[in-house]
Amino acid sequence: MAEKRRIELMACAGTGCVAGGAFQIIEELGKEIDARGLGEEVSIVPTGCNGFCGQGPLMVVIPDNIFYGWLSLDDIPHLVEEHFLKGRPVEKLMFTPPEEKEPLPLLSEIPFFRKQLLIVLRNKGIIDPEKIDDYIARDGYVAIEKVLTSMSPENVIDEVSKAGLRGRGGAGFPTGLKWKIASQQDKTPKYLIANCDEGDPGAYMDRSVLESDPHSVIEGMSIAAYAISSSEGFIYVRTEYPLALKRMETAISQAREYGLLGQDILGSGFDFDIEIRGGSGAFVCGEETSLIHSIEGDIPEPRQRPPFPAQSGLWECPTVINNVETLANLPVIIARGADWYSGIGTETSKGTKIFSLVGKINNTGLIEVPMGITLNEVIYEIGGGIPDGKAFKAVQTGGPSGGCIPSSLIDSPIDFESLKQAGSMMGSGGMIVMDEDTCVVDVSKFFIQFTNDESCGKCVSCRDGSDALLEVLNRISDGEGQEGDVEFLEELAETVKDASMCGLGQTLPNPVLSTLRYFRDEYDAHINEKRCPALHCRNLIQYYIDPDKCVGCLKCLKNCPTEAIMGELKHIHIIDQEKCSKCGQCLEECPPKISAVIKATGSDIDNLEQLPEIVACSDWKTMKIGAA
Amino acid sequence: MEHNRTEDNKVGAALVVGGGIGGMQAALDLAESGIKVYLADNKSSIGGVMSQLDKTFPTNDCAMCTMAPRLVEIGRHKDIEKITLSEVESITGQPGNFSVTIKKNPRYIDDTKCTGCGACVSNCPTRNTVQPEEIEDIVLESQFDEEVTGILAKHRDRKGPLMPILQDINAAYNYFPENILRYVSQETGYSLAHINRIATFYSAFSLKPIGKHVINMCMGTACYVRGAELLLEKFTEVLGIGEGETTPDMLFTIKPVRCIGCCGLAPVMITGDDVYGKLQPKDIPGIVNKYQAKEQ
Repeated sequence: MAEKRRIELMACAGTGCVAGGAFQIIEELGKEIDARGLGEEVSIVPTGCNGFCGQGPLMVVIPDNIFYGWLSLDDIPHLVEEHFLKGRPVEKLMFTPPEEKEPLPLLSEIPFFRKQLLIVLRNKGIIDPEKIDDYIARDGYVAIEKVLTSMSPENVIDEVSKAGLRGRGGAGFPTGLKWKIASQQDKTPKYLIANCDEGDPGAYMDRSVLESDPHSVIEGMSIAAYAISSSEGFIYVRTEYPLALKRMETAISQAREYGLLGQDILGSGFDFDIEIRGGSGAFVCGEETSLIHSIEGDIPEPRQRPPFPAQSGLWECPTVINNVETLANLPVIIARGADWYSGIGTETSKGTKIFSLVGKINNTGLIEVPMGITLNEVIYEIGGGIPDGKAFKAVQTGGPSGGCIPSSLIDSPIDFESLKQAGSMMGSGGMIVMDEDTCVVDVSKFFIQFTNDESCGKCVSCRDGSDALLEVLNRISDGEGQEGDVEFLEELAETVKDASMCGLGQTLPNPVLSTLRYFRDEYDAHINEKRCPALHCRNLIQYYIDPDKCVGCLKCLKNCPTEAIMGELKHIHIIDQEKCSKCGQCLEECPPKISAVIKATGSDIDNLEQLPEIVACSDWKTMKIGAA
Repeated sequence: MEHNRTEDNKVGAALVVGGGIGGMQAALDLAESGIKVYLADNKSSIGGVMSQLDKTFPTNDCAMCTMAPRLVEIGRHKDIEKITLSEVESITGQPGNFSVTIKKNPRYIDDTKCTGCGACVSNCPTRNTVQPEEIEDIVLESQFDEEVTGILAKHRDRKGPLMPILQDINAAYNYFPENILRYVSQETGYSLAHINRIATFYSAFSLKPIGKHVINMCMGTACYVRGAELLLEKFTEVLGIGEGETTPDMLFTIKPVRCIGCCGLAPVMITGDDVYGKLQPKDIPGIVNKYQAKEQ
């Protein structure tokens, strides 16, 4: 690291914060610091993703360890003057938990960070990902040195097997075993591929690892390559991640300059180099055989296994494909030993797992927690609960291949086995929180739409099966569900599961099956009572304005996109149901103090229609407020 | 006839000439009586004229319903051998013992339908070579020449060069002009059919020109539950085009994408290098205006 300054500003430059204008803020900070002559004392380090993305753009002040979030350009002069010049931290930029008054100045006090255990993300927000020296200063490349100087490939495989590391891409296959199979093959050359085709909607841990600590992935790849005696590696990054691609390119060229990639690494006689390959927007490429076809320039459709890629993969040579997060675990396992690592986690799932905690939750962001932590701890302690005091309904894990876990299972531990038992899966680690306003039929529909779009079309069961699932789900959410639809969904889902070849098809019915398992009553309500309990499905709801509450302020009327609201100033407003497109704009616009707009579904609609107040409203011209 | 019946060297086989409905029925009846049947027809398939009819006189019976079961049965019958595309050249002998010479014509390729997949070559049992027509060399238009030859030179010697080449071409032009794909096929040796399949498989590729600013509205789960659908509707309303379409001035294309991994900022839209987070429908006209103003 460069020479120590009095204050170091760890400004997050991950995609989330960059979208919020982090680069402009860093530039402004630099100008302001120079203008006040603090250039010698304060330095700015643009770091990778800090994880607390919901608070971005953000930064952490070292050594005080103070966390500032939601920065804007206007705050900068005040911040520089008060904190860095006069030494008085600025309270209004600190994190304040919802529904509390006192801010929490220290990073370590914020519950979001307190419960986390950082192994893979050990360097996040601490180093500049574009500087190899920063990584080395944090014990980087120590593990590869240990491997090359004192361990045989068999030792490495044994150590990783002993640590109990399982693949973080979703299926949880033991990493050591995969390597062992590849190393036993006679055919050469052998290839290593890092899979960063992270396609699950709502998941971005691999992107974050590449953006915040690309060298740990390079080091992990080198260790894996040594274990299986491979000298050529590929890293497959999806095209939607331009920043990750750029940082990876920088990191690889730096590692080559330092002799950590290329010929005869650290004088050990071991050769290894990495080539970056980009995806072009096809979800199925995350499936390993499909990914291999994509690199080869073939049609990226999956193929039948066995032979497994570890036996015959890229260009029909033995190929190990590991997930980015799996690889980033390796340097720590080697440096600190298998015993230390296997002490973390549960009986069958060792170590930590990164999750992206998103959806209807207060603290959105990326978290790394030990396996075995309960959902309750994640959602309420780290995530800070559900916004606006709404009730927690379910959490979707494992993306489109996973399922919903209902609130009744909130105390179950998170590991490979318990998630599977609950009808979901670990997947790559997306965790999408849903509150009472989320309709499970709609969520199933969303995921099936996704997989239907992304199905490569090779297997009929996946291609046409997802079509049929989608058709029935659409019918249900449109209020046209029929008797027997639920049973049909179940039967079809099982068939798709049994008859598809790759992981995409085999798991695509999971969202439907798991919601049917836990929320069957909601499906029944849609079909039998034409009622959407979450008040979400457009065809099943209607908006009304409560005549007792409406103050006639014109706000909803002016913002209605279809001009469906009748009324004038100080007259009660009425929604013309024929014109209403049910966009919900009126509900957004109505001031919280008034909250006169109500949603209704099923039999509530009929009840409301008969209320004398609503019936009388149809002649709004007479309904002057205060006149009666 | 008497003489023939007592002969021991009678052939237990029959030839039916003509695979129309009559010939088919005859073949089936013969085969069912235990006789080996050869069914010859001069077309490439059996079925004859009836297969072209809708209804048959006088009962208005459905022709296909009469035909289909017989077609299937003949196809499956172990004692019926079809000799299609054939002509009877000569018949010698007498009842009970004929010798027939049949000329079998070769099959050919309908080049209006052929996609050049090459499956016929690899499956042909007799000869594994093709003599392709002389194809004229494809010459690139001058405005593409330098860029494309540069891209080809850069990736040509890599293993699996096709994806990097296509990705660079896509980055340079935002879509694949047809002639460039033909040129790539000629230069790399990948068949055009193969390149087309790749070019249409990935969602980042397009065969049609697309707008300068691609509105990539994220439809990932986190964005979806936070109302991305409403935003998409607003974009289509403001720009007057549907999903996947381009405005006539070639400025905007609306293209919903799968999760872009900015879930903390949901709902999110990306266009080029600009990312817009925590969007609301009312922000959208302003964003569109910003890009329109830049162009003027």
